[in-house]
Amino acid sequence: MIVKSRSECSLLRLKILFFLIVIITGTSLNSEDFLRGANGKPDLNGVWQVLNSANYNLEAHSASASMAMVEGPVVPIPHPSVVALGAVGSVPAGLSVVEGGEIPYQRWALKRRDENKKYWLDRDPEIKCYLPGVPRANYMHLPFQIFHSEKAIFFAYEYAGATRNIYLEDPGTAPMDSWMGQSWGYWEGDTFVIEVSGFNDQTWFDRSGNFHSDALKVTERYSLKNSHTMLYEATIQDDKVFTRPWKISMTLYKRIGRDSQLQQFKCVEFVEELLYGQWRAK
Amino acid sequence: MANGVLNNKNFYYVVRTLVAVLILFSNYIFSIENREVYKTWFGDPDLQGIWTNATLTTLERPDHFKKLIVSEDEAKAAARRAASESYAYDNQLEVGEEIDNARDPGGYNTAWMDPGVELFKLNGEYRTSIVAFPKNGRIPWDRTKATKFFNQRRKNRSKRRDHPELRGVGERCVVGFGSSGGPPMMNVLYNNFYQIVQSPGYVMIMAEMVHDARVIRLKGEHLPKIMKPWLGDSIGHWEGNTLVVETTNFNPQHIFRGGLRHFFAITEEAKITERLTRISNDQILYRFFVEDFDMYSNVWAGEMPFRAVDDKIYEYACHEGNYAMANILAGAREEDRRK
Repeated sequence: MIVKSRSECSLLRLKILFFLIVIITGTSLNSEDFLRGANGKPDLNGVWQVLNSANYNLEAHSASASMAMVEGPVVPIPHPSVVALGAVGSVPAGLSVVEGGEIPYQRWALKRRDENKKYWLDRDPEIKCYLPGVPRANYMHLPFQIFHSEKAIFFAYEYAGATRNIYLEDPGTAPMDSWMGQSWGYWEGDTFVIEVSGFNDQTWFDRSGNFHSDALKVTERYSLKNSHTMLYEATIQDDKVFTRPWKISMTLYKRIGRDSQLQQFKCVEFVEELLYGQWRAK
Repeated sequence: MANGVLNNKNFYYVVRTLVAVLILFSNYIFSIENREVYKTWFGDPDLQGIWTNATLTTLERPDHFKKLIVSEDEAKAAARRAASESYAYDNQLEVGEEIDNARDPGGYNTAWMDPGVELFKLNGEYRTSIVAFPKNGRIPWDRTKATKFFNQRRKNRSKRRDHPELRGVGERCVVGFGSSGGPPMMNVLYNNFYQIVQSPGYVMIMAEMVHDARVIRLKGEHLPKIMKPWLGDSIGHWEGNTLVVETTNFNPQHIFRGGLRHFFAITEEAKITERLTRISNDQILYRFFVEDFDMYSNVWAGEMPFRAVDDKIYEYACHEGNYAMANILAGAREEDRRK
């Protein structure tokens, strides 16, 4: 009979533990960490949302009292229209999601962007509950659900009930301009690529006045990293407004459990007072 | 005896039992069987595609039709009548005739309309109403409750130039008019298109107006009563190859459902059960059962086909171009100012 000392037993346990860790780690490194679904492609189904402040400003920004600021006696202060919101109307800080840090505007366009920011309350289409366009729809403060089947891929956004059907065959040139554009999607390996075109010039990229023209083309890339996260990249091309194409990237997180239920945010009724209140009967 | 059988509790018990039986045996009652089975990649029956419910058949049976089913000759006559009405509508002026400014110029011409060109067919038979129960093809209003609702609505309509909330939901661009987004999903004057996409655990039905994606949670639970989304809250399950969708929690601002060719009302306490069955490659049989005893004296049910179309649905950006709402209210205030 072999009797081992306590230290020998501990060593054996450590060896077994190390062995198991190597196996488990090796397995996870050698196999995919996400499900495959329709046609053997990564399963994009689920309710997704960013955890960043890109919708306030794609570029780096400090926290501030409001998106609408005016000159104050000492430092800028919130616009009178939003003072009552207090801390609720303030802006969280965020790092830039733009590759290289800044958006490469043409000179006139940068001036327009700064003007847009100054008159944010009057100009941001989000304030009026207008359809958000792409890519903005993907990094708003509300989630969206992807329905991914073998025949169709469809995006339903909580914000304003916006929707996108992703054509899986080249639909050709968009027959008309629209707020959400025309989306054509295809797979490049395990990355789902969507080319979006046919935009009007009415949507913005964020609350900071970053804008585009009707020449906008967006190429989106959706790459699952594991079952709960996805890398989202979008290349923006618009020769009328920018000096070169530029790219944003961020992580989309999948909601789970009870949080994975898309709710309704039909903000049209919320802005009726803003848009039409001045014409109510007294 | 009257007290024993006809008191409210027993009455509703009997009606609810009848509804359950009606829903359970609807395939037999309506004599339509599934002919083929289509499956998604994850094994659910496949309802996916672009569909339309455009048809000349109206929700309720018009007086000139005496029965649910009509012959092909009668159906063709109805189609001809509709075509000639469209022609007359588009050609109201004789050549060279001037527009009479005093006359209502009307709305858009029929180039903008797409209500369907013939009565729909089920089981090879032309139908004269979508309502299949009661058999007379008429909605069984509870006269007292409906009168109360419509009197109040009439009172509000006199103020509809005063506040946006008193305009129709379609004019407000909140949801489509006439219950096009459903439930029940009704055909209206135009844009009668729907896209269905399925994923494990969900069926999504997007109505063209107003890009409303109704996400039906399979085997889900209803939202708490306090939550009342536009289009209600829909949960579903499969019974064989039939998708059964139960919707409750209706929005109190979306009671009236009116189009040019129909009107009805769905109150907050209503329950609507829809049944969608793929009966061929290019048809879904759509049935619905309305239980709403705050508006009707009995349950009522309808059925119609959704036909596959090889077409695309374009963006229906309504709110973004809603100049009319501002103009209506501003015009009314100008009138007030001049008084």
